[in-house]
Amino acid sequence: MKKVKIIAGITWAFICLILIIILFPGLNSFSASAAKLPFMKINPNYSGGEVAQQLIATGCTLDIRKPVFDGLIKKRNKGFVQLDWRGNVPDKIVDTIDYDLDNKPDFCIFVDRDQSKTVLYPINSKVRDIIISTPTSYGWAVRVELIK
Amino acid sequence: MQKKELMTDSLILGLSSGSSCLVTCGMVMFPYLMAGSAGVKRIAIDLSLFLLTRLVIYFILATLAWYFGQALFSNQVVRNVVPGILYIVFAVMLVWYSISKNRNQECPAKIVKTVNNHRLVPIFLGIVNSLGFCPALFIILTKGATQGTLIQSYIAFLAFFIGSSIWFLPLPLAGKIRKKEVLKTIGILATGLAGIIFMIKGITNLIGGIING
Amino acid sequence: MDNALTSSGMKKSFGRSLLYTLPMFLITFMFMTGGRPDFSRPASALAMVVTFLLVNILYFLMHYTGKTDKLRAILFIIFALSLSFTLINNMLETRNSMSFSQADILECKIPFCHLVIPMMILPAAFTNSIIFPGSIIGGFANIASMVVLWLVATLVLGRGFCSWGCFYGGWDDGFSRIRKKPAIKKISEIWKWMPFAVLIMVSLTAALSLIPTYCDWICPFKAVTEFEQVTSVESATKAVIFVSLFAGLVVVLPVLTRKRTQCSFLCPLGAINTVSNKVTPFTIKIDKKACTECFKCVEVCPLFALSTEGIKEGKVSVFCSKCGKCVDACSKNAIHFGIKGVPSGTMKNFSRNLFLFVSFLFMSVFSAGSIINSLQSLLNLIF
Ligand code: SF4
Ligand code: SF4
Repeated sequence: MKKVKIIAGITWAFICLILIIILFPGLNSFSASAAKLPFMKINPNYSGGEVAQQLIATGCTLDIRKPVFDGLIKKRNKGFVQLDWRGNVPDKIVDTIDYDLDNKPDFCIFVDRDQSKTVLYPINSKVRDIIISTPTSYGWAVRVELIK
Repeated sequence: MQKKELMTDSLILGLSSGSSCLVTCGMVMFPYLMAGSAGVKRIAIDLSLFLLTRLVIYFILATLAWYFGQALFSNQVVRNVVPGILYIVFAVMLVWYSISKNRNQECPAKIVKTVNNHRLVPIFLGIVNSLGFCPALFIILTKGATQGTLIQSYIAFLAFFIGSSIWFLPLPLAGKIRKKEVLKTIGILATGLAGIIFMIKGITNLIGGIING
Repeated sequence: MDNALTSSGMKKSFGRSLLYTLPMFLITFMFMTGGRPDFSRPASALAMVVTFLLVNILYFLMHYTGKTDKLRAILFIIFALSLSFTLINNMLETRNSMSFSQADILECKIPFCHLVIPMMILPAAFTNSIIFPGSIIGGFANIASMVVLWLVATLVLGRGFCSWGCFYGGWDDGFSRIRKKPAIKKISEIWKWMPFAVLIMVSLTAALSLIPTYCDWICPFKAVTEFEQVTSVESATKAVIFVSLFAGLVVVLPVLTRKRTQCSFLCPLGAINTVSNKVTPFTIKIDKKACTECFKCVEVCPLFALSTEGIKEGKVSVFCSKCGKCVDACSKNAIHFGIKGVPSGTMKNFSRNLFLFVSFLFMSVFSAGSIINSLQSLLNLIF
């Protein structure tokens, strides 16, 4: 029994040695495989959610994301919708948004990029407030608070 | 306060107070809950009775807290500042509770020794335990008292009940756990930590309340 | 022969030490240069040569002197400093500040660090997603590669990760070495269970709020990496907390106690590594026949892993990070590196050689990138 334990211990130690030797050269492919695991995606509360609509104007695209209400187990009562303007974004943005795709406008938004000023005009009563309005590497992003 | 935040806070509070209940009162209650029990069925019945009693008491407390809260906290300034102060006081108590050396002597469940009828023991324990007025219960009472609606007060107490009850579920297995002392230490430290979290929350609320008038 | 080692028993002759260093020399050469050293850019070539030499000289000295801890600590501390330097430098270059903006969060550009892992588990199980604004793959410190690195390291080294891999541990390890003698000697043992309480609290709060609460509210190492812009009462409170924790647990207490107090009393990942210590093959063993019960090892252990009762029973607790400090302090060579299953007091040299190779290889390759990077930036600054 004692011998078996010794052999098992040393074998395990050598397996660990091999693991460490192959870890770094294989890191890229191990990471790529790990990235494919089902839970390896950023929570929509951080990523902003999937793009639901894309409105294209001259040189500028507006991505309207799916509203995010994700909680641990069930949907939360409070959430947000993220808007991303990409490309050649004008200094003053004025847009009317229908985030729930019911063909009725839900809110209007006005962004003055130079003054960093954002004004929200809610139409739908589920639209609450501006959570974030910020310049980004691709243009400008806004998160608008919603309730269910 | 938002429903989600209210539930989260109350659940954490319940979880933290549950750990201290278990490591203090649990050790006293355990022999009584388990004494003479023939099997899993009996343990389950006793435990359910115990938990049900706690739930009923908590609903009564939620109603009372909210009712008195309406009268006491009708002024906006009082509503902003008093809960912050109470939070801090109770959080200090929670921390004190975790570092106090006489923790075991404070357990109200000891009174149970005076009850003779065995069938009533779980119910009696439920009452004593939920009215134990440990520091976390004070915090939840403040929470219940400052809610806008009675339903919100119920939600707070329900989440508190769930959080604190989770700890009692493995009680029947407690005899089998080898490192009880370690678990007890971690439970006490977690209680202290919860106290610190609520103290910080209290201070932030207070400063926020003062700044926002 | 292995069993009758004296205090200097781990020392090797110059030639033998060179021989033992040869595999490390070749492997680190391959990893650092990819087999084809590039001398076209002098600053980067010089940085690489210096790092390569540093690593191999330290490893050689570990064999030649028979000492482990001080030599390990040199690389460990340099790693901590260089990583912070690289991160801060990167932040300053790209954002002109050490604080990250809302845009960085929105664009999921925050570098991931292993301390987030304890808070990821429950949300990943329930929501099938990661609650961190970083990138899954690609880019600096991405989530997939950091998780793989930590997973393998904790499996192989257990809590050894905390002395051979964690780029934060180097900070309090460094500060714990500043004074020769501790000013505070008596610290209650119960605090060493605190990381488990922190682990429970942060896992629960993170799961319920879907926010990595430890990073958001507690992590003291934000002081030497990056932090949220102070824009509200809440963010100001957070700043006060992390700065105080850094000052108290990473600087002042380690200096006064000569213990790694942040790692011992706060870090939730340290708690998980403690549990994985049960799996790793490498361990510290006590040869009761050789032990004279002088308890010098208990005194020097920076992580409260040893107790006088434990030594009498020949037991080292799961808190051990295999730093080797106790091994170096023992003049009788009674406390030694070992392999699970192998009886204590036997195969001391073999176990040490194998463990050192594995742990040092991990540390040197893991740290090389950031050391080279910071040296290069420093050289560019000077010339
Ligand atoms: S305890 Fe935490 S901070 Fe310290 S070395 Fe381990 S993982 Fe790093
Ligand atoms: S027991 Fe020894 S090797 Fe382990 S942490 Fe303490 S000093 Fe380091």
